[in-house]
Amino acid sequence: MIAPRSSVAPPILEVRNLSRRFGGLWAVRDVSFSVADRGIMGIIGPNGAGKSTLINLITGHLRPTSGQVLIDGHDVTGSRPWAIAHDRVARTFQIVKPFRGLTVRENVAIGAMHGSDRDLSVRDALATADRLLELVGIAQHAGAAPNQLSVADARRLELAKALACRPRLLLLDEVMAGLRHQEIEAAVELIHKLRDGGITIVAVEHVMKAIVSISDRILVLHQGSVLTEGPPQEVLGDQRVIEAYLGHRYVKRRST
Amino acid sequence: MSTRTTAAGPSALAVIMQRRQRSRRQILGEWIRSRTPANSWPALLGLGAFLAMIGLQQLIEPGTQRLLTAVFLFVALAQAWNIIGGYTGYASFGQVAFFGIGAYTVAVLMNNYHVSFWAAMPVAVVIGVVFAVGIGVPLLRLRGHYFAIATLGAAEGAREVINNLTPLTGGGGGITIPTFGDQAPTAYFGKPGFYLAFLVVAAASVAVATLLARSRLGFAMVAVHQDEDAAAALGINTTLVKVTAFGVSAAIVACAGAFYAFQQIEFYPTDVFDTSFTVLMVIMVVIGGSGTVLGPLVGAVGLELLAQYLRVNLGIYNQLVFGAIIVLVVVFFPQGVVNFFRDAWLTRQFSVLDNVRRYRL
Repeated sequence: MIAPRSSVAPPILEVRNLSRRFGGLWAVRDVSFSVADRGIMGIIGPNGAGKSTLINLITGHLRPTSGQVLIDGHDVTGSRPWAIAHDRVARTFQIVKPFRGLTVRENVAIGAMHGSDRDLSVRDALATADRLLELVGIAQHAGAAPNQLSVADARRLELAKALACRPRLLLLDEVMAGLRHQEIEAAVELIHKLRDGGITIVAVEHVMKAIVSISDRILVLHQGSVLTEGPPQEVLGDQRVIEAYLGHRYVKRRST
Repeated sequence: MSTRTTAAGPSALAVIMQRRQRSRRQILGEWIRSRTPANSWPALLGLGAFLAMIGLQQLIEPGTQRLLTAVFLFVALAQAWNIIGGYTGYASFGQVAFFGIGAYTVAVLMNNYHVSFWAAMPVAVVIGVVFAVGIGVPLLRLRGHYFAIATLGAAEGAREVINNLTPLTGGGGGITIPTFGDQAPTAYFGKPGFYLAFLVVAAASVAVATLLARSRLGFAMVAVHQDEDAAAALGINTTLVKVTAFGVSAAIVACAGAFYAFQQIEFYPTDVFDTSFTVLMVIMVVIGGSGTVLGPLVGAVGLELLAQYLRVNLGIYNQLVFGAIIVLVVVFFPQGVVNFFRDAWLTRQFSVLDNVRRYRL
């Protein structure tokens, strides 16, 4: 049964016909999807499918060639990244971007100082940072330089920085890449905890198994366009997805 | 499906994310209570040094006063450069523009319009900041070498404008501030007066840098320096931060220029738009240690005293030796003296040779 449009709250994130061209190449082409409040949307696709470009378009780090991005129903297309952050949309970067010259604690505190419309004093921000470091499990490195962290801990720092902005919508760009099995399990558990805490999550991932286990819905990108979108099991059984990932020759060989 | 509301239950995360909203008075009260000898000693040391320099004035001869006055000037200039070049990571080679603009604003107002120095000096600061914002908005979109060259060009341009505004500025013929009798809008300070004036300017610049370094803006500046995309993703308005840092830096430089103009009485555009001022600011910060409060202080005091010493004792070879010493310090302490000793203290590795190897990639 479909409720009248006016009584339904708009989705926290809606992307309409979003496209971005680099020269002659469409990195993202006519992508539309929406994410329900407190859902976990997984975005997968082979290398160069446009996953990171899509994140950059949503967070304002890139301007779309055409199309719209709506947060809570209002159009934020073309807004600057800090304005989108102040709409309580936070993100991590695929290549971690710690601020060298600051401690791990100070790195996180910067998000609490500037990340939302109600910013904290330096002192309160540092206290918040300590609690967040505990949440992601790197409290013991609070005073360390970020370049002393392991790959897994550097990704946790990246996550803590984003969380410090008090996001309602969190965009994760390959937070599990390069992690070992146990570390992935810990990350999955953490993402569930965040969702239970009221955060809507869009996770771009390469690690198939992990994304399937956390996502409510999965969107498959291929050469910049949406291949399919739906619940994980449905998407994984889709012939086109298997082809995109493994190549059509593999599929043909299996079917004969 | 989407009828679920956003109201989150009281989860562990919600408690962590909860913001403690407090008034400025509460924050100030908490800050005062948190002061202990262990965390207040740098401020007390600074205050002690400031008072000691006031007392010292009574003990030294005019020549030494003049020397220290120059040291104070460079402390202020180096601190100012460090705000934009060190903390924010935008190496400006045009800071002398604000020095010249500050100097000429004061000279024109005092000479042409008989305005008192104390009224002219704030105007000089305002005009310096306005110019900084005006050129900062377009130029701070450039990075690295491009920004350096653009600011260098802006400073040269500013000098040429002053040079050619002959009716107002006297052009290449220079300008003179009336300092005697009824002609003088403000009585000349004399050597002791300028010693104190530049001491206050230097102390104020150190105080501004210290407060800035631990402020929200200061953290934002460091974030912008390290990675602008990451800074913007954390809600930092990078354009605003860069322009503000440039403006604060320009304000200090213009203020120093204003005092310098009054001290010099008579000067030409080539004097106050001299690129060597910019170069000295950069060298002092780089050698002292950029991105720290202590670095520019150490660099300015050390290099200015060294330069004066060499000038007195080495005659015509002083520039050659001065240059050689700068090269050697940069080779051995590429990250700056203060940064080297801080890291060495923390890691207990005092080997200078190891340091050279670490940075020579």
